[in-house]
Amino acid sequence: MELLPPFELLRPTTVEQALAWRLENPNSRLLGGGTDLIVNLRRGIGEAPQALIDLNQIDEMTVIAGDGAALRIGASVKLAALAAHPLVRAHYPGLAQAAASVAAATQRNMATVGGNLCLDTRCIFYNQSEWWRASNDYCLKYGGSKCHVAPKSKVCYATFSGDLAPALLVLEGEVEIIGRGGRRTAPLAELYSRDGRDYLSLAREEFVCSVTARAAPGLRAAYDKIRVRRAIEFPLAGVAVALARDGDKLGALRVAVTGTNPWPVLLEETAALCGGGVDEALLQRFDALLKAQLMAMKTTFTSGHYRRRAATVLARRLVRRLFDGGYMGETR
Amino acid sequence: MSDAPAPSGAIGAYVPLLDGPEKVTGAAKYTADFLAPDALCGRILRSPSSHAEIVKLDVAAARRLPGVKAVVTGADCATPFGVLPIAMNEFPLARERVRYRGEPLAAVAALDEATAVRALGLIELELKALPAYYTADEARAPEATDLHAERPGNIERDVVYELGQVERGFAKAALVREASYRCAEVYQVQTETHAALADYDALRDRLAVHCTTQVPFYVHLMLARCLAMDKARIRVIKPHIGGGFGARTETLNVELICALLARAAGGKVRLVTSREETFITHRGRPEQAVTLKIGMAKDGRVLAVDCETVQRGGAYSGYGIVTILYAGSLLNAIYAIDNVRYHGTRVLTNTPPCGAMRGHGTVNVRFAFEALLDTMAAELGLDPFAVRRANLLRAPTRTANDLLVNSYGLPECLDRVEQASGWQARKRKLGQGRGLGMACSHYVSGASKPVHWTGEPHATVNLKLDFDGSIVLLTGAPEIGQGSSTVLAQIAAEVLGVALARIRVVAGDSELTPKDNGAYSSRVTVMVGNATVAAAENLKRRLAAAAARALDCAPEDIEIEGETFRASSQDQGLDFDEVVTAALKEAGTITVSGNYSTPPEAQGGKAYRGATVGSTVAFSYAAQVVEVSVDEETGQVTVEKVWVAHDCGKALNRLAVEGQVQGSVWMGMGQALSEETGYFQGLPLAANMLDYRVPTIAESPPIEVQIVESNDPLGPFGAKEAGEGSLAGFLPALANAVVDAIGLRVTELPLTPDRVLRALDRQRRAREREAARAARQKT
Repeated sequence: MELLPPFELLRPTTVEQALAWRLENPNSRLLGGGTDLIVNLRRGIGEAPQALIDLNQIDEMTVIAGDGAALRIGASVKLAALAAHPLVRAHYPGLAQAAASVAAATQRNMATVGGNLCLDTRCIFYNQSEWWRASNDYCLKYGGSKCHVAPKSKVCYATFSGDLAPALLVLEGEVEIIGRGGRRTAPLAELYSRDGRDYLSLAREEFVCSVTARAAPGLRAAYDKIRVRRAIEFPLAGVAVALARDGDKLGALRVAVTGTNPWPVLLEETAALCGGGVDEALLQRFDALLKAQLMAMKTTFTSGHYRRRAATVLARRLVRRLFDGGYMGETR
Repeated sequence: MSDAPAPSGAIGAYVPLLDGPEKVTGAAKYTADFLAPDALCGRILRSPSSHAEIVKLDVAAARRLPGVKAVVTGADCATPFGVLPIAMNEFPLARERVRYRGEPLAAVAALDEATAVRALGLIELELKALPAYYTADEARAPEATDLHAERPGNIERDVVYELGQVERGFAKAALVREASYRCAEVYQVQTETHAALADYDALRDRLAVHCTTQVPFYVHLMLARCLAMDKARIRVIKPHIGGGFGARTETLNVELICALLARAAGGKVRLVTSREETFITHRGRPEQAVTLKIGMAKDGRVLAVDCETVQRGGAYSGYGIVTILYAGSLLNAIYAIDNVRYHGTRVLTNTPPCGAMRGHGTVNVRFAFEALLDTMAAELGLDPFAVRRANLLRAPTRTANDLLVNSYGLPECLDRVEQASGWQARKRKLGQGRGLGMACSHYVSGASKPVHWTGEPHATVNLKLDFDGSIVLLTGAPEIGQGSSTVLAQIAAEVLGVALARIRVVAGDSELTPKDNGAYSSRVTVMVGNATVAAAENLKRRLAAAAARALDCAPEDIEIEGETFRASSQDQGLDFDEVVTAALKEAGTITVSGNYSTPPEAQGGKAYRGATVGSTVAFSYAAQVVEVSVDEETGQVTVEKVWVAHDCGKALNRLAVEGQVQGSVWMGMGQALSEETGYFQGLPLAANMLDYRVPTIAESPPIEVQIVESNDPLGPFGAKEAGEGSLAGFLPALANAVVDAIGLRVTELPLTPDRVLRALDRQRRAREREAARAARQKT
C-alpha cells in the first residue's frame, strides 16, 4: 500500500455548498465511494488534491425516484442500492444488471452512480504505481508526452470502463449538472469527450448531480459484460441493448458499449437495422456497425482485438435474446 | 499458541487447525502488525532500468534530510547471498549493475513514511544502459551480453542426461509423437505482502528480526553472512505468516535490507512492502517451453521419452539449478519409464528472479506429459485411464533415475476418480461445449540432504514437560498456514496417548526452538513429523520409567492407557499428574529431543549429476477429473467440477488434507485458467490483484476430494505429503477436458478467453487448408 497524500476532506450537505467549495478549491477532487479515486491517489496518479469534496452527505443526491416511465437517480446513490431497488429491478432490469455487475460486493456497497458515470479512463500504462510510470517516462494521459499504446498518437486511448453508462445511454439517459450557471441538463452521451485524457466534457467546477432514464412501453433492455473472472474486474467489453418489437419486426434498437473506446459508445446508425426481422443477414450488418465504431487498442492485459470481438458476440446475443423475449441475465 | 478445543486430536480425525481462532478473530499478529512505536519506516529505491551499470548513486542529500536516520546502498554489503551455496550471486542492494526493473538500489529509514519517500526522491542516480533480455531466446542468442560474468551465455544450468536406451525405445514404439507446450510465468500471490521488523541493539551488537519467511533458518544464515555478524548474536522470529507457496523458501532481499537499515540506524526499522514490490521480489514459477517426444506401444506403454525444456529464470540464480533438475527428475517416479532423455536449460534474463513455487519444477513438464499422453491415447483408440494404467509402477521399486518408491496409491486414485466422476458413462457424451478430462501427478515428501548441511540430523524436535503437566512442542518448522503445528501436536499426542489440549506448540523462534530447515519440499509432515514421533517416544520412555519406579515394577511391565500408567491391568495406576510428579523428581523439568534424517536409501542420486534432486522419503500421488464448459464464441472456459484423489499415505488430519488438496487443485486452476505475470520491457504488467487474475470464489468449482491411504513404511504413521501433489494434474486435466468439450487442443497456458479464441481460429484455418488440399487432390 502506498502512502495517501495529505488532503482536506470537505463534506457539503447541499449542492450549492458543494459548488461553492468547488469554486474555492480549484485543485479539489470529488469523492463518491472512492473505490477508484483512492486507489489512484495512492498510486500518485493525478496532482495531489488539496481537498476531497465528499458528495455523500447531500440528501437530494442520494434519492432514487420515478415510475415505470421515467427514473431519476441521485449521483451519490450506491451501486448496491441501485441494483437492489424494486422499481429499478422491475422496470429497468438492464440498469440493475449493470449495477450488480460492477467489481464485487464490497466495492458496490461504497461506489456511487456518479462515480461510475465519471469513472476515470483506464490504461495498462496509466493504472500503475508512481515508480512504474516514472520508469516508463509516464504517458500522454498523465505526466508524459508519449502514448505507449499508439506511439504516434496525439490523443489518449485510455479506455472508458464504467458499466452504468451504456445501460443508461440506451434508456435515453440525461445528466443533471451543477455549475456556475446553476443546473443544466444534457444527454448522457454529451458528458463524454472523445479523448481518454480529458474524458469528460465538464467545466472545471461542474459536477453531475443526478441522471435520468426513460422506459418506453414495450422496450426491452439488458446489459451483459465479459471479463476473465466473473467478479472484481472491469469489463473487457460491456454491452447494453434496448429494443422494441413491432410485430415480427425490429421496431427500435439502441446499443451502447463500454470497455473498448475512451468513451461509452452509443452505437450510431442502428435505426437502419430496424423495420425487418432479426436474422443472420441483419446480425451481419449489426457486426459491421460494431466493428466500424469500436476500437481495438492494447490498453488492457487482454488484447484489443479480443475485446472488440467479445463485444460483438455479446451484442448479437443480447439482441437475439431480447427480440425473442427470453432470459435477460448475464451470459455466464 | 492457543489450545482451542478440538473434537478429537486423534490421528485420522477431522481436527480444526489449532491457530484457527486467533486468525478468524483477527487477533493473530503478522509481521506488519508489530507496531513498535520507536520503529523507523523503511523504504526501498528500486531500479527504473532493466539492465544497466550504476554510474552514480549519490545519497548525500537524502542523508541530510531531517528525519532520515539511515541510508544504505550496495556499498553497505559486498557479500552476495543465495539459497544454493554454489549459486550465490545476488546482493541485498545492487552493486555495480542492476539486472531487472525493480531491483533494490538503496534504502532509507526515516521517522515517518512521508520523509522516507521524500528521501528516496533526493537520491541521485545515473545509469548506463546495457542490452536487456526479456525472453530466454534473446538472452541465449550468441551475441547477448552476459548478465553475470560467471554464467557465460546467460546459462544458469544446462542439464543433459539419458537413462536407458531412448532411441531403441522409439524404434520399438507403435506410435511416436512430438509436441511443444508453453506455460506463462506465474506468481504465488500469498495473502500477506513481504515485511520485516529488524531490531538492532547497538549496545550489545545484537539483532532480532521478525519476517515473513518459510525458512527462518536460511534467513538466520544469510543475515549473519551479509551483515558479517556472529550467528549467536542474531535472533530470527517467524510470527503468523499469510502463506508462502514457495515465494518465501529462500532469504529475500526485504529482510536483509531491513536488517542493514536497522544496524545503520542503530535501532528498529519496519519495512512493509507493497503488493507491487512483493510481485517484483517474485520467486514464482518461470515461463517455460517444453518440447516433448513420447514413443508408445500399441497397448499404451511408454517406451521412450525425450524432453527438452527451457525456463526463463530471471536475473539471479536463486533456486534455478534445482528447478531445472526437478523438471527432469520428476519425469520419473509416477509411471514405469525406463528410457528417458532430458535436456533442460535454465536461462538468466532481465526479469525478476523466479523461485520454488508449489509443485516446484514438475508442474509445467507434467502439463506437457499428460497432455501428450491423452493425444496419443486418442490416436491409439485407448481410454485416458487405460493409458495411465498401462504404465503403473509396482512398489516397492527404484526408478531408472534411482528414486525410491515404497508406496504407490496411484492405481486406487485412478479407480476412485473414474468412479466418482462417472467417467465411463459420461466421457464424450456431454455434448458440444462440455467435456471431461483427467490427468495424474505426484510430488516429493521432503528432500534428501538439505542445502547448507553441516552433518546434523535433518530435523529435530524438542518436547518440554513441566510441573503443570503441559507439554510444549518446540520446533523450528514454520507454521505458515499449512497446518504444520497442528499436525505435529497431533503426532505427539498420539504417540504419548495424551489429550491434544495438553500439547502446545512453539514454532519458529531461534531463541527458543531447535533449528529447522523450513517449510519447503513438503518436508514438514514427514521429516519433522518423524522427529516428533522420536521425541514423543523418548518422553514416553521417561514417563514409563518414572511410573515403574513409583509402582515398583520393571519399565517394560508398565501398561499405558491414555493418560493412565499401570503396573498391571488390576492395578489402579497413576494418573498423568502423578506420573509427571514422579518423573520430575529425578531431574526436574524434562526436555527431550527427537531427530530424523532421510535414510540413505532414500537419498538417491547416483544416476547422473544432480540426481539427488527429486529423491525423497516418499512420493504422493494424485489423479483428477475436471469437467468444463467452453463458450466457443467468447472463448470462456468454465470449470464446473473437479474430482480429485490424493494418496497422502495416511491422513493424519483429514480436514487439513482435504483443505490442502483443494488448495492445490485451486492453485493449479489459477495457473491453467487465468494467471500470468507479463512484462512490458521488463516492467510488470500485472503486479496487482486486479490485473493478476487469481480466481475468485465465482470461478471456484466444487472440488470433491478422495483420500487414498497407501501407508508408506517410512512416513509418520504412514503419512506422505498432501500440500503439493494435486496441483500439477489440474493443468493437463483441464486442457484434456477442453479437447473433449470442443475438440481443440490448446498447448499454451493460461487458457484465457483470447488464447482460446486464437487457438480456435488457428484450428479453423488449418481445417480449411486441409479441406482445400483434399479438394485439390480429388480433382
